[in-house]
Amino acid sequence: MRGQRVLVSGMGSELGSLVALQLESEPWVGSLEGIDVDPPRRRLRRATFHRIDPTDRGRVLDTVTRFDPHVLIHVAVWEPDARVHTKRARELTESAAVSILGAAAECPALQHIVVRSAAEIYGRRRGSPTRPDESAMIDPTSEFGHIAAALETVAATAATRVGVTAAAVRLAPVVGPHVPSPLGRLLRLPGVPFSVLADPPFAVVRDFDAAHALVAAARVGLDGPVNVTSPGAVTAWQAIVRGRRLPIPLVGPEWAIARRVSVLFGAPIPDHVAEMLHRGRLIDGGRAQDLLGFAPTTTTAEVIDSLYAWPSVIHVARLGLADTGSAAS
Amino acid sequence: MSTRREQITSKATEHASSVTVVPLTPATEPRRPLGRAVQAVTRPVAVVWPRPTVDEWGRDTRFVEALQPFARLRWDVTVGGQQHIGGGAALVLISTRRLAMTAVYVSWAIGDVLGRPVRFAGRPDTVPFGPWMRRAGGILAHPGEIASALRAGEIVVVGASATSNPRQAGTVDPTLIEPALREHVPVHVAATMNTMIGRQARVEIAPRLLPKRARRGPLAEVELAEQAQRAMQDLLDELGGNRTGLGVLGWIAEG
Repeated sequence: MRGQRVLVSGMGSELGSLVALQLESEPWVGSLEGIDVDPPRRRLRRATFHRIDPTDRGRVLDTVTRFDPHVLIHVAVWEPDARVHTKRARELTESAAVSILGAAAECPALQHIVVRSAAEIYGRRRGSPTRPDESAMIDPTSEFGHIAAALETVAATAATRVGVTAAAVRLAPVVGPHVPSPLGRLLRLPGVPFSVLADPPFAVVRDFDAAHALVAAARVGLDGPVNVTSPGAVTAWQAIVRGRRLPIPLVGPEWAIARRVSVLFGAPIPDHVAEMLHRGRLIDGGRAQDLLGFAPTTTTAEVIDSLYAWPSVIHVARLGLADTGSAAS
Repeated sequence: MSTRREQITSKATEHASSVTVVPLTPATEPRRPLGRAVQAVTRPVAVVWPRPTVDEWGRDTRFVEALQPFARLRWDVTVGGQQHIGGGAALVLISTRRLAMTAVYVSWAIGDVLGRPVRFAGRPDTVPFGPWMRRAGGILAHPGEIASALRAGEIVVVGASATSNPRQAGTVDPTLIEPALREHVPVHVAATMNTMIGRQARVEIAPRLLPKRARRGPLAEVELAEQAQRAMQDLLDELGGNRTGLGVLGWIAEG
């Protein structure tokens, strides 16, 4: 098991950087490389990073086959309206999946694939289970759900063809103070819309826990899907009140206006977040402990609190402390 | 504020010998007048529901607590046989009467006597009743949903098909029993009796239902469902006559 070569696609994202950071301290990891269009957000000491556009299939193929990884952790998934708009998110995720998973399938040493999936894959159609477990039918009802479903299909197909195991880590909405998330941005607005008639519960997962789950899936060589979510749940109303924001109750037709207005405030509401606010988003993460040997312990309420506890940026010059030497922010 | 600054300073100086720490403003303290105004407006609202009270299935403890006094005005429930339910998961099949909200008051009553939340299967999935029923402890009458709750050690109340005659047990859907067999969870039968007008209501829980024959295939849940209906009918017969809440009508209904 020791001396494994691990490739992390999407290492430049917050989640990918955290995964790489945790992999650096894993004893079974021999060498670690990463690919992304953006540089990593954390200081990585052991990892080698390649800045490659996922659409540049030739360079991706060269880089991946030269490294010849044993394990691929595919985090190159763009959530709609997190870093790019919905259409671009679909294009980037699809091209990254084809080029990176395709290149990894050409590597003779490959043993295991882990893909970052999402709870949106189950969909929230009327009559669908409130807390779907891993055996629930995949029936996405949002763009992000379709993206995740397509990604899992590509990964499973690639793994079957080359005879390796593939794990899909289906994460509840990943939220954290530094995670570019449409849900996080929306909840941090001064006034937050919510469905007054439904106000359904949802659960989230902290970015550190999500990274931990992805690393654990790689370590144990999980074959199949696993749900990962924080314990507990909150409703939008409760989250808004916890953050001391102004709750804006909406009934139905005015959601179209709210979605347009929120774009102006820099917090667009993609369809999977709108769906979550109307129909809730819970998953049964009870099997994570058995399958991964790890289950998040940070509750959903604590994750929401950490989202609001994001310290404000302090301009040192304005405080008159610019000449005091070094400063921490 | 000073405590926060000290904490930050001590944490930062663990790794560096000379560091000037710029004090951070608390996240809750807005810097702009608009932010202050928003906070002032939302402050009264913020104390109404300060802590999340929904659980992983969406049951809202505070919502249930708020409704229970009204429920007690409508039903005065006596629960018997609660000692048969152990500390773990259980599926409780109950007899139901049309338009009686039996599953709701039975789950609340059993939850009260056992001191733990009890779910009931059969909430709708449409706004606004679906979300309200979910907050009251409802889950969908869906085998996957019931299995998920049982796997997590929850007690789930499942109603037999509703009848117009409260002394008659309705049929039990085998697909809703199958999760209990799959998860190796005990199945109990409970007879319920309530009246349309009066407050008196009764819930009598029977010991664990044991299948007469061990089956490996789908016959297991079909036979157990039939057995449950028979056991429920026996319990209803033991509970006695029809209760209308009105003496004369009750006497006539005795037939």
